[in-house]
Amino acid sequence: MPKYIISVTAADRVGIVYSVTGALLDLGGNILELSQTVMRGYFTIILEVEFPVTHSASQLADTILDRGKRFDPQVLVTEVRNESLKPAVPSGERFILTVLGDDAPGIIHGIAGCLAAHGVNIVDLHARLDAARFSMVMEAMIPQDLTPETIRSELERCGRDNKIEAYVQHENIFLATTEPGPVRVGPAVRTQGDALASH
Amino acid sequence: MHRTEDVLATLSMIRQYKLDVRTVTMGIDLQPCAAPDLSTLCDRIRERLVHYSGRLRAVCREVEGRYGIPIVNRRIAVSPIGWVAAGQRTEGLLAIARTLDAVAAEVGVDLVGGFSALVQKGWTEAERRLIASLPEVLSTTERVCASVNVGTTAAGINMDAILALGHVLKETAERTRDHDGFGCAKLVIFANAPSDNPFMAGAFHGPGEPDCVINIGVSGPGVVKAAVEDLVTHSHTGPTLGDIAEEIKSTAFRVTRVGELIGREVAARLGVSFGIVDLSLAPTPQVGDSVGEILQAMGVVRIGAPGSTAALALLNDAVKKGGSFASSSVGGLSGAFVAVSEDAALARAVEAGDLTLAKLEAMTAVCSVGLDMIAVPGETDAETLAALIADRSPSA
Repeated sequence: MPKYIISVTAADRVGIVYSVTGALLDLGGNILELSQTVMRGYFTIILEVEFPVTHSASQLADTILDRGKRFDPQVLVTEVRNESLKPAVPSGERFILTVLGDDAPGIIHGIAGCLAAHGVNIVDLHARLDAARFSMVMEAMIPQDLTPETIRSELERCGRDNKIEAYVQHENIFLATTEPGPVRVGPAVRTQGDALASH
Repeated sequence: MHRTEDVLATLSMIRQYKLDVRTVTMGIDLQPCAAPDLSTLCDRIRERLVHYSGRLRAVCREVEGRYGIPIVNRRIAVSPIGWVAAGQRTEGLLAIARTLDAVAAEVGVDLVGGFSALVQKGWTEAERRLIASLPEVLSTTERVCASVNVGTTAAGINMDAILALGHVLKETAERTRDHDGFGCAKLVIFANAPSDNPFMAGAFHGPGEPDCVINIGVSGPGVVKAAVEDLVTHSHTGPTLGDIAEEIKSTAFRVTRVGELIGREVAARLGVSFGIVDLSLAPTPQVGDSVGEILQAMGVVRIGAPGSTAALALLNDAVKKGGSFASSSVGGLSGAFVAVSEDAALARAVEAGDLTLAKLEAMTAVCSVGLDMIAVPGETDAETLAALIADRSPSA
């Protein structure tokens, strides 16, 4: 069945999610994944939706716009043409990268460029400004052949003009400290393995 | 997806409030090394220690880098040498101590514990010799730590051993007088000693333990103090004691979880068992890393004043409850070290005359850890030292 990636943005008001999902339901759509946030009063939602029949991107966008015209939304629709054409995501382990520093135009661009140059894929990113202090928390996939320390020192080198501090920590430490479930340990590298147990 | 606030809160515990893994302690059973011949015994001890701990330092570095949390110390705890050295004479005991000292340096651990004897009910000839050898061992080795268990709830207290240890303390202080009597800081006298304690100087690999195990000591007085201060600052009416206890419990949860994560990862990478995590508030002389300052943040303006013991009991209880919720692998001492010479606020309270030995005895009766790092005048006689130990033993 045809699938589409749909994103909608608007000034935040009560009822936008109801409006967007209603428009999709009218066309027989089933939501496969959804992420929504409100940033500084602006609503953004991105969805992957599956439909029983093919629709044009403009037909889908118009339906959402018509139903939600009181919100004056902006809509972008992209058809997922083929699973195999989905962007290849580099493998690796999920780390949390935290960057703190002085704010300046281009700081995120510089950090993103540094990560891209090392094949680090950002999968989630939040940044904010408190006074003149910039903080950014990213979830990123770090390739197996790179150490966290390599990425950390590269980030600090890239951001030295903004006096940035960078921290690269495996996500399990944050799962351990914030969730009550069992502590999870990442794939361990056993170079001596069971030899130790039999001495 | 992780909440930014949660990530920054955990990070600030490490960056600003000195949360660290105080020690990764590898416990190693040395009983298979037993041999009547001293040379064979020492060779076997060396071989077994290197086999298990040879990669400890490198693995700790890997894990430290992976999680971005400092591992301050790597240590080894061995089976009580009183067992391993059965049949050895004094020269044999000294040779074993030198072997432990040398291997510790070779594998890159700062201390090795377990030059120990468990004599609560009585002592063997080897254990009697071991206790007699302590002044020489503690004054001539750098990394060897000793401990003697003089009592248990079931067996009672071995008063003869306590008297002997009064003399050991006196002689050890005399032999290390050029280093502030520091030899005594490498000796712990226990009652009801835990067999899985990762903290030095009292760590040993006791009965019921496997061949090799990783035990973790986490600390974090600075983190607990910051949490209490933050609670007090942001409370309009002032927090209740219940509010303070809840805040300490949730902080203890986070700290304990960090310890368990690190312990499990180190153990998995080495292919050995994970044992326990011991959350004990262990101060360092740095400002802000102090159990005394936690008590002050809780409202005890002058440490040693009435209320100090109750505040410490509340703190210890909340830490234990937070730790128990965090992990089913909590062990060791899991208390609050009231280590006078290592805690800036406590040291100031002693200097000001607010905190006396009698008050310390009361406070340490509620914090799971005993009299610790207290300088006593050099003219104090061995019998008085023994009496102080005996006074503290029944409440351990």
